[in-house]
Amino acid sequence: MTSAISVTSLTKKFGDFTAVDHISFEVEQGEVFGFLGPNGAGKTTTTRMLTGISTPTAGTATIMGHDILHHAFAAKERMGVVTDLSNVYNDLSAWDNLIFTAKLYGLERHHREEKAAELLDMFGLQEVRDDNVREFSGGMKRRLTIAMALINDADVLFLDEPTTALDVQSVRTIRRLIRELNENGTTIFLTTHNMQEANELCSTIAIINQGKIGKIGTPEELKQAMEKMHSVEVAFESGRHSLASDLEGIEGVREVQKRGDKFRLFTLTPPDTLSGVFTFARERGLRILSINTLGPTLEDVFVELTGEEIVHRSNSQTSKKKRRK
Amino acid sequence: MGGDMSILTRLRKEASRAWAIGWKDIRVYYLSPPTLMFGVMFPFALFFTFTVGRSLSITQMLPILFSQTVFWAASTVGPVVIPLERRTKTFDRYLSAPMSLLSVILGKSLAGVVFGLLVSVIPFFVGWLFFSLQVVDILLFTLGILLSCVAFAAMGIMFASIPTESVGNIMMPMNFIRIPLLFVSGIFIPIESLPWIGQMVSLFSPLTHTLILIRQGLGIAAYPVAPVISVAALLLSSLLFFFVSRQFHEINKRRE
Repeated sequence: MTSAISVTSLTKKFGDFTAVDHISFEVEQGEVFGFLGPNGAGKTTTTRMLTGISTPTAGTATIMGHDILHHAFAAKERMGVVTDLSNVYNDLSAWDNLIFTAKLYGLERHHREEKAAELLDMFGLQEVRDDNVREFSGGMKRRLTIAMALINDADVLFLDEPTTALDVQSVRTIRRLIRELNENGTTIFLTTHNMQEANELCSTIAIINQGKIGKIGTPEELKQAMEKMHSVEVAFESGRHSLASDLEGIEGVREVQKRGDKFRLFTLTPPDTLSGVFTFARERGLRILSINTLGPTLEDVFVELTGEEIVHRSNSQTSKKKRRK
Repeated sequence: MGGDMSILTRLRKEASRAWAIGWKDIRVYYLSPPTLMFGVMFPFALFFTFTVGRSLSITQMLPILFSQTVFWAASTVGPVVIPLERRTKTFDRYLSAPMSLLSVILGKSLAGVVFGLLVSVIPFFVGWLFFSLQVVDILLFTLGILLSCVAFAAMGIMFASIPTESVGNIMMPMNFIRIPLLFVSGIFIPIESLPWIGQMVSLFSPLTHTLILIRQGLGIAAYPVAPVISVAALLLSSLLFFFVSRQFHEINKRRE
């Protein structure tokens, strides 16, 4: 069976800066493929190249077997796109936005009206169908953006940060919809920096950083890495470095790192470790200045999975990677 | 894969999508009250600025009014719309839709053409009702208006394709070209009274050929150029503007 998305050595350079660096991967039909990475990792640039918005500097990609450069028309007919911004036409109504998008995808009149009505129902926008989109809230605009991407019953749906900055209810609705679409056979390419979302929705996850794919794996691998990266962060009045080896003896602690004036205790069982830290402090007469339980950050998980550290590129465009000691 | 669509089917699909863009732009941007006011008032304002006080007969003035109307109406709104759509990322919708870049450009230009045609109806009625306007050669007059609308809409879209999200960055170079064109195209200074080099430059201005065709259509003596040359000049200008516009967009896609 043809891959839904096939990417070979895709590269994007902006002058001397390489935003996406020879990445290759395959997305099987019917998959929810998560593209996970921190801000500036190259996620959106990759999506923009795959959807024809931006031209790659090098490399190739196909959508349902159609080359994105040489057979762009056929490739684009098979895809729906939700960009990272809700790019709706503010001066049109929800209905007119959908009808216009349907025209761009060549739907016949009766079909586009039927489909637009169905999508307005699905996204709870039927009551405001004739209202000017300018009056819509952020969540409503986001829902409309996704509805517009579904107008052509695409085989492959690109979703770039679909739930960012949305209220809990909208997030749940959109996640439920992604599952339903996938159950009906749509391949989903989901770009996100939210590990929980990737873990919950995806069947395969690629982690990208500095324009390179660090790892392609299953949500289970991500979940395991996430579980390992729970931690308790504590600061004592006397932050002696020598305490680190003693702290390793607390129940559940698998690693201790000294970070500034604080100790970070990585643990599989944060509640046990928390009570262990209090006992530890009491027994040694140490005063606790602050104590917090922390969930895993994308950086922690990236390091855990790839053994490499994330170097943010916003200030310097170097591409050095530091190996974790 | 991907080559299994007949050329006719593909052309039909491209044309219907270009029309969808054009019609949407007309509804959203061109028929808004400020744009309509501008489209109607501005050519008249410029016309009166440069004709009042000059000893011109109404028959000499009307071709100038027609030319200015299509020139400003067809070329002005597109350059405002595209940077705006780039900023709101709605322009990305066209790029990710199944249609060629050329169809996007044609769709964007189409709105300018229709607007130019609609607005040029106003001076037509003014001339017809109040000054007994007579069209001597309907074909030349119609070609003059229609091809000029295409050329100037394409010119506006070409400038709009400059890689920027700021309207100012487009309007400045565009007016740097548009305003001098008024002075070398026979609008304010007859071409015959220009030095020979000015007359040569004038022949490269599409606005010159607009005025020539409209004058000939109204049966008024015009600069001695065969109508077929003026028609060809306007067609070639349009093609050139479309081509440059497409190149600008390709550069944009490589840079973005």
